[in-house]
Amino acid sequence: MAAKTGFNFDNYQRNLFMEYGKGNNMKLPKATKTGTTIVGLMFKDGIVLGADTRATEGPIVADKNCEKIHYIAPNMYCCGAGTAADTEMTTALISSNIELHCLNTGREARVVTAMTMLKQLLFKYQGHIGAALILGGVDCTGPHLYTIYPHGSTDKLPYVTMGSGSLAAMAVFEAKYKKDLERQEAIDLVAEAIQAGIFNDMGSGSNVDVCVLTKGKVDYLRNYIKPNVRKEKEQVYKFNIGVTPVIKESIRNLVDVVDVNEMEIDQ
Amino acid sequence: MINLDFLNPAENNNVLEQEEANEYMENLSVPTFEIPLVHNPVEFLKHQTHAAEQCRLSIVHGTTTLAFKFKHGVIVCVDSRATSGTYIASQTVKKVIEINPYLLGTMAGGAADCSYWERELGRRCRLYELRNKERISVAAASKLLCNMVYAYKGMGLSMGTMVCGWDKKGPGLYYVDNDGTRLEGDLFSVGSGSTFAYGILDSGFKYDMTPEEAYDLGRRAIYHATFRDSASGGIVSCYHVKQDGWTLISRTNVKELHYKYQDEPKAPLV
Amino acid sequence: MALAGEDFCIVAADTRQSDGYHINCRYAPKAHQLSDKTVIGTSGFYADGLNFVKKIKQRMEWYFHQHDKTMSTTAIAQLISIMLYQKRFFPYYVFCVIGGIDENGKGCVYSYDSVGNAERVQYQAAGSGNELLQPFLDSQIGLKNRSNENETLNLTEEMAIKIVKDAFSSVTERDIHTGDCVEIYIIRKDGVECQKYPLKRD
Repeated sequence: MAAKTGFNFDNYQRNLFMEYGKGNNMKLPKATKTGTTIVGLMFKDGIVLGADTRATEGPIVADKNCEKIHYIAPNMYCCGAGTAADTEMTTALISSNIELHCLNTGREARVVTAMTMLKQLLFKYQGHIGAALILGGVDCTGPHLYTIYPHGSTDKLPYVTMGSGSLAAMAVFEAKYKKDLERQEAIDLVAEAIQAGIFNDMGSGSNVDVCVLTKGKVDYLRNYIKPNVRKEKEQVYKFNIGVTPVIKESIRNLVDVVDVNEMEIDQ
Repeated sequence: MINLDFLNPAENNNVLEQEEANEYMENLSVPTFEIPLVHNPVEFLKHQTHAAEQCRLSIVHGTTTLAFKFKHGVIVCVDSRATSGTYIASQTVKKVIEINPYLLGTMAGGAADCSYWERELGRRCRLYELRNKERISVAAASKLLCNMVYAYKGMGLSMGTMVCGWDKKGPGLYYVDNDGTRLEGDLFSVGSGSTFAYGILDSGFKYDMTPEEAYDLGRRAIYHATFRDSASGGIVSCYHVKQDGWTLISRTNVKELHYKYQDEPKAPLV
Repeated sequence: MALAGEDFCIVAADTRQSDGYHINCRYAPKAHQLSDKTVIGTSGFYADGLNFVKKIKQRMEWYFHQHDKTMSTTAIAQLISIMLYQKRFFPYYVFCVIGGIDENGKGCVYSYDSVGNAERVQYQAAGSGNELLQPFLDSQIGLKNRSNENETLNLTEEMAIKIVKDAFSSVTERDIHTGDCVEIYIIRKDGVECQKYPLKRD
């Protein structure tokens, strides 16, 4: 009997057999990875989160403009890198748990609560949930910024980066981060760090998303910068009418059409 | 070659003869290849090219080819698809290698292996002709090819070929593969789709068919193989080897054959 | 990629050189001019490609001094096949295409696998984006799977260049290994011209 909640492991043994069993070499489908640059930093009045918008499946770009900054609570947002489905589902799960927590306690949730929930969930699954997160928010104790690794370890730092472009982004932060930045300075620095990831890391690309969290206010700046707008194509590739071959035509009557007049006559 | 001239000093005088012999050996020697400097070169290569291992250097494969002897000579029919892994690398491969005007070789397995060794075979057949002032027999030609690839047995060559021609003994048909197998026969089919082709071929084969019937049988067998085998497809080429050499009969897209055969009435079940 | 027209030929390659998720170089030419009539495009392992092109050029030089003429495109095509096969048991990790003008003044393209299987074609894509590019060429140049089959393509040079540019900008959108810049070599009867166009750099 399968468990009613949580993950379903019914096909686990079967899939192992399909992949490694004798005479089998079926490749199981790959999950979409975000292959990402995500960053966060603390400034004078709060937190700025940033993310690129490319999702990849191996070497192929799966989504050119996806959203990687996820909603947790009105005062909390979370950037996700790693397996796209895992980041989305974990943040959604924690988001609803936080909402319940708020209703239970009658208070706004604290960032540390969400962080603890996330790390406990991820630790339980020993890294099999491939979510690398940056959690930022402002609560009654002030602004907080955490990173959460897929295995469940966490850091609390003034400026953080994650994902495949984390090195490129961190290089920018290490060079230019200062304490108590102004709001606009902080946004600019985050945008610059993300762009370093976009251009120097092939797993990251397209546009820059930014989210500014201050006491009692959230500014979600979707596509804050679009450095990679595609130029217009040289030609229009329209097919002429009739290029699709018609192999055969078959028309079926799905209903019997009865002449109304005939019916009346019958009556 | 180890020089053993000192054992026979009298021979040394005849420098010209020696040179001639050297040249002869040079012409006949199999070209040499670089071997990776690792403990086990064969395993090393397999690791690089084996299809199951998400092939880094995938080599094109996958084929249906057939050839059969009948009253009026030899019919050779092939498809034209090359695949590497699941990707169709080409739909226009020439899988019949025209060795010379009266010898044909077919290509199955590694495309580069087949085309390279059959080109080399063509060179040797020409040399044979010049030396002996007569055409090489199909038996001898296939033996040459067989010996060449046998020297590389176990090294990872991949080749399944049929050498077809006409010589003094009449039509000739030999199967040669990379293991060094060489078989004479009346009917062969080689490649991933060969089982499907054999089905059509065996059920429709009659020794005293007309050439037209034979062409249709060959094309039909290849078509049905392309229908069931995803690694075969493209264009069906049909050749006829007669006493005075081979002729190309047709090149037909399988799509055309599909609609042609589709409209035909199906044979009753028994 | 390469494509042949009636009396011209185009060989184009992007210039990004990468390893995993990391870009090593944004301008690393992968297309090389071999003669006034032939250009080669390589992909795969970059060092092997460079070395291979160097060896072809060396063999062409020897040929020039021995026969007092430049190698024709078809001769180069056969040479490449044999050179690749010479390393049958230790292959060059390169997938090349060559484009040029043949003895009859017609545009021609040859494509190879890594061990020297050669085929003359009208157009060919090779490298990381080939599975995205080839279907586009099949549709636009090969005119595959269209019912009005008597429709023939009269491929002009301007049209071909436009198709090449669009092909590369489209592949750049979806293949992470392609980008930065595209070099387009146009081989005509009277020589070779190289044009460069920027691509997206993300």
